[in-house]
Amino acid sequence: MPNYNIKFLPDDKEVQIEPTDTVLRAAEKAGIAVKSACGGGGSCGRCAVLVKEGEVTKGQTAKLTKEQLAQGWVLACQVKPLTDLVIDIPAESRLSQHQVLTESRGDKGLLKEAQLKDLGLAGHPLYWSVYVELTPPTLTEAFDDLSRLTTEVRRITGIDNLQLGLETLKKLASTLREGEWKATVYLAEGSGFTEIADILPGKAEDKYYGLAIDIGTTTVVVYLVDLATGEILGSKGGYNKQAKYGDDVITRIVHAVEEKDGLAELHEAVIGSLNELIDTVLKEHGVRRGQVKSVVSAGNTTMTHLFLGIQPTYIRLEPYIPTVNSVPPVRAKDLGLHVHPQAWVHSLPNIASYVGGDITSGVLVTGMAQSDQLTLLIDIGTNGEMVLGNSDWLIACSCSAGPAFEGGGIKYGMRAMHGAIERVRILPGFGVECKTIGNGKPVGICGSGLIDCIATLRDAAIIDRTGKFSSDLEISRIRDTDEGPEFVLVWANDSGIGEDITISENDIKNLIRSKGAIFAGIRVMLGMVDLPVEAIDEILIAGGFGNYLNIHDSVTIGLLPDLPTEKYKFIGNSSVKGAYLSLVSHNARRMVEEIAQKMTYLELSVGNSFLDEFVSALFLPHTDLSLFPSVHK
Amino acid sequence: MAVSILKERWTSKLYETTIGTGDKAVKFGGDSTLPYLQFEGEIPNRPAVALEITDVEPTDWPDFLKAHWEGVLADPVAWAKQAAEYGADLIALRLDSAHPDKGNASAEDVAKTAKAVADATDLPLIVIGCGVEEKDGAIFPAVGEALAGKNALIGCATQENYNSIVAAAMVNGHNVIASSPLDINLCKQLNILMTEMNLPAERIVIDPLIGALGYGIEYAYSIMERSRLGALTGDKMLAMPVVCFVGQEAWKAKEAKDVESPEGQTWGEQGTRAILWEVMTSTTLLQAGGSLFVMRHPESLKKFKAHVEEISKSNA
Repeated sequence: MPNYNIKFLPDDKEVQIEPTDTVLRAAEKAGIAVKSACGGGGSCGRCAVLVKEGEVTKGQTAKLTKEQLAQGWVLACQVKPLTDLVIDIPAESRLSQHQVLTESRGDKGLLKEAQLKDLGLAGHPLYWSVYVELTPPTLTEAFDDLSRLTTEVRRITGIDNLQLGLETLKKLASTLREGEWKATVYLAEGSGFTEIADILPGKAEDKYYGLAIDIGTTTVVVYLVDLATGEILGSKGGYNKQAKYGDDVITRIVHAVEEKDGLAELHEAVIGSLNELIDTVLKEHGVRRGQVKSVVSAGNTTMTHLFLGIQPTYIRLEPYIPTVNSVPPVRAKDLGLHVHPQAWVHSLPNIASYVGGDITSGVLVTGMAQSDQLTLLIDIGTNGEMVLGNSDWLIACSCSAGPAFEGGGIKYGMRAMHGAIERVRILPGFGVECKTIGNGKPVGICGSGLIDCIATLRDAAIIDRTGKFSSDLEISRIRDTDEGPEFVLVWANDSGIGEDITISENDIKNLIRSKGAIFAGIRVMLGMVDLPVEAIDEILIAGGFGNYLNIHDSVTIGLLPDLPTEKYKFIGNSSVKGAYLSLVSHNARRMVEEIAQKMTYLELSVGNSFLDEFVSALFLPHTDLSLFPSVHK
Repeated sequence: MAVSILKERWTSKLYETTIGTGDKAVKFGGDSTLPYLQFEGEIPNRPAVALEITDVEPTDWPDFLKAHWEGVLADPVAWAKQAAEYGADLIALRLDSAHPDKGNASAEDVAKTAKAVADATDLPLIVIGCGVEEKDGAIFPAVGEALAGKNALIGCATQENYNSIVAAAMVNGHNVIASSPLDINLCKQLNILMTEMNLPAERIVIDPLIGALGYGIEYAYSIMERSRLGALTGDKMLAMPVVCFVGQEAWKAKEAKDVESPEGQTWGEQGTRAILWEVMTSTTLLQAGGSLFVMRHPESLKKFKAHVEEISKSNA
């Protein structure tokens, strides 16, 4: 069969594909990242492209209007070429760069250096050096070279279980003699053993580095750390390129399981995303790959599996069992990371299929597992993960919140990027004032904007407590459509997309379900330990979305418990911070394993209490208004 | 040694609701204990019983039931008078003719019928829509107005149409049935929505959408029990009395309708078992905490009232 030439505009890139490949595949080949929330299922409608020239096969047309179809719009994931093509990919259908959280507002709630010592979390890095001066052998004191070395290293460090590889062993004799029995020994922490990774003659001044990595479903972050000083030299954040195979972990797992080479594609996508960041940050700081000797990564359970190239099939299937929770370290060369091939790559431990290393990492770095205060840690995303507890006990759960907070399943929903509406004000006479990120023309609404919008609409009595538009309001902004009533936030004239930006009753219901799931999870956990919400001393909000969250709005709609705002703290990307802490302190690395061991996982799908709490939370703010005294007026 | 009876101390009680005006006005609710534990709290009112009539001749009623109302089925005014003679405390008029599939009568037409029935009887009136949420929302403004001052009970309001029904009730001085599908949270949510429109809570009656004996009655029972416990422990949004539409459920049951199948032949005489089905459903739900019962057969009403007579004797 002949191959077809596909030309993409406005990039003016051309690729050849086989007739059995989709246009989406062609775009991928051309290096253009196209949105594909459903993972090529033809249902999300995000990969709409315009066929300028040529013919394509027929396919699903979800979310395309009659006018669009007539103009030649198609879903890139659904159609294959019948001739050579010229395709226009509009900005809306592209994965654009967006602000990735490498730093965040405040580090409140995170451990300070002085506290690390108190908590026994200070320690040596996972790769470090020891200078030794050995007594030369004599005829009467004739230990072999290795015993001579390990005895001295053990005397200095107290480490018993020392191992070393053949390469190091081969150069041991000459190195010791070259340095006249003085040498610098490099030690690398594995799991349950310490490896003599290298040995250099005399007092070596070589620099060595490590990486702390957060692997999020959406974004990845890398910290470059000078391991001798513990200093963070630089950080880089970017998209997780797995996004083109689907927005959430479930579609990724489906891709890994059902597509040929799916697992390899996902593994390579995440490694590729990381290597790009690693290459950039190393170049910026003049560090060579071979100097990066240790890596610690934290990610949710699915991301950890895909990072390691482990098939995640059973994470999705009842009874939801991951292949591994406490992951043994692996060599960097086995993953293809652009660091020293022999560097150990540590992955922070998971608790269960839907509570991963990103959460244990957060628990570590907040110090909640060593605190008397009852702390609730929440990471809000597609899944809401929560940990409640103190130094005596920890309980964790995860509830599926759906993609609404990240703009998914919302007609004009989008991530927190330039032009996303983040604040909404209703003016007298039902005018609407929207503030957008970057103050650009509005192009959509992000999760925090949605929360604010719903709180505002409720305040103005435009929606009732179930999220329905009030039927006795006759205002032009409320109108009926085939998909139910909607409210116009921005008229086409003022929007950046040439059409009205609206929020529909379905959008509102979706968000209410998302917030209901999170709140129900909190209630079930509290119910499990029979504590009232007032017993919580501190609520820590982690994650990218949490960074943009407005506490007052969140309480108004019943997403978060009605507690004084002083009890809330934003901790930003606690996942990468915990990875960093584990990288620079072996005691922290050990502690995170202990935390994972000690945490009790609460499966919400067992029993009725979650469903009951969920239904009672499907109301603004809640069916039990007494839980929200500050909102109920 | 004397047995000491354990008594629960409840902090709250049900709202007391009055339907109708004058001598025949009916009062129910107000209980401050679980059903019929007279030794523990007050049960100031007996349950009220309504007989159900429709504004068009019913098509889905079994012949045995229709036979009893021979001659009045097509005339709601005459039917209401006869129901009053049978000893009903209230008349429950169902405006079936408004149903889009059963004539799609206009709001004005059904309002006229409602007015005619109200004028023909001095019993308090329950007026039920056709069950299509949108249509019911559209007819009640007119029906409510036609019955202004009668202090009727209208419904059933749902999350979809409560707005217009509650508004009609507030303007014209009526009470509202709040209907939610066997879920305590949804029930509460609707009550909150309605009271937030400033309808006083004592003018709301809860319809938990019960099932008949053998058709999910246990779900109704546990939901009613939970809402009563909530009410007694201080939850004002669950403290409304409960109406049970027993007739419409019991007469749908195979056991009440079946006359022909070989299986049905072994169940005894249809009339007896059908009436028993309606009575058993009612007495069970009475025990669960129902305050208002809407029935279809006069004989069922008689048997149920006899049961109420017995159970109302104080055990204090």
